[in-house]
Amino acid sequence: MKFVDEFRDAELGRALAGEILSLVEPGRHYKLMEVCGGHTHSIYKYGIDDLLPANVELVHGPGCPVCVIPMGRVDDGIAIAHREGVIFTCFGDMMRVPGSAGSLLDAKAAGADIRMVYSPLDALRIAKQNPDREVVFFAIGFETTAPSTALTLKRARAEKLTNFSVMCSHVTIVPPLRALLESPDLRLDGFIGPGHVSTVVGARPFEFIPADYGRPVVIAGFEPLDILQAVEMILRQLAEDRCEVENQYKRVVPYEGNLRALEVMAEVFELRPHFEWRGLGFISHSGLKLSAEYADLDAEARFSVPGVRVADPKACQCGEVLKGVIKPWECKVFGTACTPERPIGTCMVSSEGACAAYYNFGRFARERQVV
Amino acid sequence: MSAGPSQSCGSEHCITCGDDGVPMTVVCVDLDRGLALCTDEDGTRSTVETALVAPVEPGDILLVHAGTALTRILYPAGVPA
Repeated sequence: MKFVDEFRDAELGRALAGEILSLVEPGRHYKLMEVCGGHTHSIYKYGIDDLLPANVELVHGPGCPVCVIPMGRVDDGIAIAHREGVIFTCFGDMMRVPGSAGSLLDAKAAGADIRMVYSPLDALRIAKQNPDREVVFFAIGFETTAPSTALTLKRARAEKLTNFSVMCSHVTIVPPLRALLESPDLRLDGFIGPGHVSTVVGARPFEFIPADYGRPVVIAGFEPLDILQAVEMILRQLAEDRCEVENQYKRVVPYEGNLRALEVMAEVFELRPHFEWRGLGFISHSGLKLSAEYADLDAEARFSVPGVRVADPKACQCGEVLKGVIKPWECKVFGTACTPERPIGTCMVSSEGACAAYYNFGRFARERQVV
Repeated sequence: MSAGPSQSCGSEHCITCGDDGVPMTVVCVDLDRGLALCTDEDGTRSTVETALVAPVEPGDILLVHAGTALTRILYPAGVPA
């Protein structure tokens, strides 16, 4: 397939692995964070870490959209879903994220009308088809997904739909990165930047990382050669004593992002003063809510929700995994009490979550090493 | 809107939750509603919101996420479209 086969070429992969090997200094340990869960998924799926020298370590970052949703938000969603006359809609993986008393999937089994959608526009269509029901869309995701929610809200307003509302849990990528860089227990040498978030925000928002923290950033695609080339570009910056934002994913990411998407988001959303991230705690100006102009379509205002903060299960170490402090297999419940079939923590829910990605692909390689 | 195999939010991999983008080719355009009928590599057709990349025309390749086209995909120099 065009844009896929070219980026999985084994010969080019070997050449890039050789380049990477030539760039590392023996005796120096390199820690590079891939911000996006999509990269984590590709790294384990294609065994990319096996192609890297032993002293180049990939650390998994917080960029998995469902992994960062705290339990209290799931409980709020379930509370709305149980309201009489409500059709509650959300994306697939969100259905399985555990709240304090079960997931949305459990609530559906208990009788709530909860429906999986692929797009917010699907939720809008359900609202048009069910004028006597209240249809709520549980909006999650980074800047990649937020424009789609924003356009849907604009359509709802234009079509004067009154039975549609959004429970907005969209988040932004830069504040958690800054929080991670301020974290004293994490030393990183560079970042593989999020490819699809960057189609919307562009490369410019990441310029603070080299400017303020002296770490290189390379925005990368999701095929094996994309990620290998991003690693090579970061290591080359380090070897040449350069520190800047580079764009490996030029075929998709304009440096300025998508200005129309940013305008639509600015019209429909505004920043929350604080938003709670699973495992990372409250981060200032990191979450989006509906702007005053669209407040009447805000499900949290339309329905009363518990709004209670729920602590993560004590056994769960998603926070340390999301910060890259520990590897998935170092969590006490990884692969035993917590599996993709019965997740305790969010990192085990989505296949982009570091734990699920490692469970599905990486553990086999590790088991081979142990033997 | 239909959701085909490469766009499903099924049990293995929810592409929307995963921040994935799907390359899709424009088949025809509904200018009045700002939508386009697009097809993915498997031939599955979906209606896509095109407000963020308009104007589009048949044959354009778009990166689609959550039913919305986020950007056009540009072929690297020297690679035939």
